Amino acid sequence: MSDLKIENLVKNFQGMDRPAVNNVNLDINSGQLVAFLGPSGCGKTTILKMITGLFQPDNGNITLDNESLLPIPTEKRGVVMVFQNYLLFPYMNVNENVGFALKMKGVNKSIIDERVKEMLDLVKLPDIGLRKPKQLSGGQQQRVALARALIASPRLLLLDEPLSNLDAHLRDEMRELILTIQQKLNVTTIFVTHDQEEAVLLADKIALIFDGELQNFTSPKNYYEKPKNIKAAKFFGGVNFINADIVDNKIQSEIGFCEYQGDNIRDLNKKLFLTIRPENIKISKNNEFDHNSYQGKITSVIFSGTHTRYKINVNNVHLECSLQSVGIDNMKEDDQIFVHLPKDKIWGMND
Amino acid sequence: MGGERLKIVLSLTPPLLIIITLFFGGIFYGFLQSLGYQPAIGKYELNFSAYYNVMFSERYAKLFWSGLALNLWVSFASTFLAAVFALFGALAIRKTFVGKTLCNFIYSLNLPMPHLVVAVGMIFVFSQSGLLARLAAQIGMISSPGDFPVLVRDKYGFGIILAYIWKEAAFFFIILMSVLQSLGENFEELAQSLGANRWQRFRYVILPLVMPNLFSASIIVFAFSFGAYEVPALLGVIYPQMLPVMAFEFFLNPDLNARSEGMALSIIIALIVMILVVFYFWLTQAKIRKD
Repeated sequence: MSDLKIENLVKNFQGMDRPAVNNVNLDINSGQLVAFLGPSGCGKTTILKMITGLFQPDNGNITLDNESLLPIPTEKRGVVMVFQNYLLFPYMNVNENVGFALKMKGVNKSIIDERVKEMLDLVKLPDIGLRKPKQLSGGQQQRVALARALIASPRLLLLDEPLSNLDAHLRDEMRELILTIQQKLNVTTIFVTHDQEEAVLLADKIALIFDGELQNFTSPKNYYEKPKNIKAAKFFGGVNFINADIVDNKIQSEIGFCEYQGDNIRDLNKKLFLTIRPENIKISKNNEFDHNSYQGKITSVIFSGTHTRYKINVNNVHLECSLQSVGIDNMKEDDQIFVHLPKDKIWGMND
Repeated sequence: MGGERLKIVLSLTPPLLIIITLFFGGIFYGFLQSLGYQPAIGKYELNFSAYYNVMFSERYAKLFWSGLALNLWVSFASTFLAAVFALFGALAIRKTFVGKTLCNFIYSLNLPMPHLVVAVGMIFVFSQSGLLARLAAQIGMISSPGDFPVLVRDKYGFGIILAYIWKEAAFFFIILMSVLQSLGENFEELAQSLGANRWQRFRYVILPLVMPNLFSASIIVFAFSFGAYEVPALLGVIYPQMLPVMAFEFFLNPDLNARSEGMALSIIIALIVMILVVFYFWLTQAKIRKD
């Protein structure tokens, strides 16, 4: 259980026209499971490597339980990283792989054997100790890599794209396992991913990173309902963006006057964007809504099984609405309809 | 399917014929001569007396066994040391730094150099009349070049070992660099995050990872240095003499009767190298089966 604090972290690489990591600040509480989310090359793994000590930052500090990690060599930090491609030592069997960290500490062999058994039980692979990595499936290799990291009783566990090399079925299984183990051992864990679904399903909090800069660090729910900017909203599947102005403390948008209940009204600039999740928009042939109701025309209907997606033109602004396919009125292309943007679901952003 | 097989057999036949005729033909004729078959001097009887003479006769036994010991010592020592130097060189050079290309070039420079040139270079540099001896005398480390330690044409084969290290380290280096580059540093970084210090990373990660390639290269270098003639001929002493030099001298002997002993010695050298190669294949096959 350890608190991690990252302050003003900067890392430059030769040949890059921008810092790989630019002034990142993060506070991660003990026992939290945090995702570093962003597209490839955004600096997620670089931050991870600076936490382990494999890269030295050009500026800033990283503290674990109020002690700076920077002067401590990697092997003494108690920060263990599980690499994306597992990296099981090919010349060792599973038992030897899992017991590696304890062997490096000079722990007695009988204790190592006992702990290896415990760890293999924990990752639900009790009977494969004598196999070589080549004889394991991708999922098994990932579990062994996890067991090898956990045996060291790390203060901080770092997982680099832990599910990216697994197929869909194994991903679900592994995701469950990581969650169970993390909760059981209560080890502070950071994992890197470019898959927002994976981040949402696993993490307590998500650090969204673009071009080396931290965009936001908040709960998965907030990314859907209260994104900080258009980039963040788009990364989480946001498609509806409406230009608006604040006039006399009221919001006048390009589709008309808009009632707003967001708690960030005081932080918003005069020029802003409004956004709303497609699933939060309601539509009807009759105007049955008491506020934020606008007339529009359906431009396309896409049926995708459980849900149907409607594209609607409201005053030349294109909005998308997703409704459950069962039990809705039969609305089709070119129908004139009323669109309702509930005031508690609409959210304002500055850029 | 049959047509495919025929095509493969036909395309393999010409090179196979050359190998069989030149290599096995030569070995077979040499083997016959080692058994005493020399029609030119009217000897047709086949026996093992040349082998017995070389290994156990009062005249040659001491020469043979001391030569074999020197051969083994020179081959083991030069192979081991060349591998060690190359490994540390490759580990130092593999990371990106200014001047890496130049270092790489210098380290690999010896590879295309003929062994003969390297041997002459050894004489120029390490002999008692060589560059180092003169330099040491010039700066007062020794009173005269004659006081310089005997490193070339010495009975322990130091000169030969040095020449092989100089030459074969480049061969090991090229192989190790390609292995280390393809492995990257992820395994070491992982071991480091699991608590392995610098020595442990070398002992438990780098060494096992490069060992299969290092071992294969070692077999090649050992087999080569065991059977090579020109370096020991130039840098060796009359006694003890390495086996290939001894074999060639038997062969050059005006007494044609000595040719059988020369051939017997050559067959013994070939046999030892072949045993090594078979052992190597057995080891690699055993490893494949185990994996």
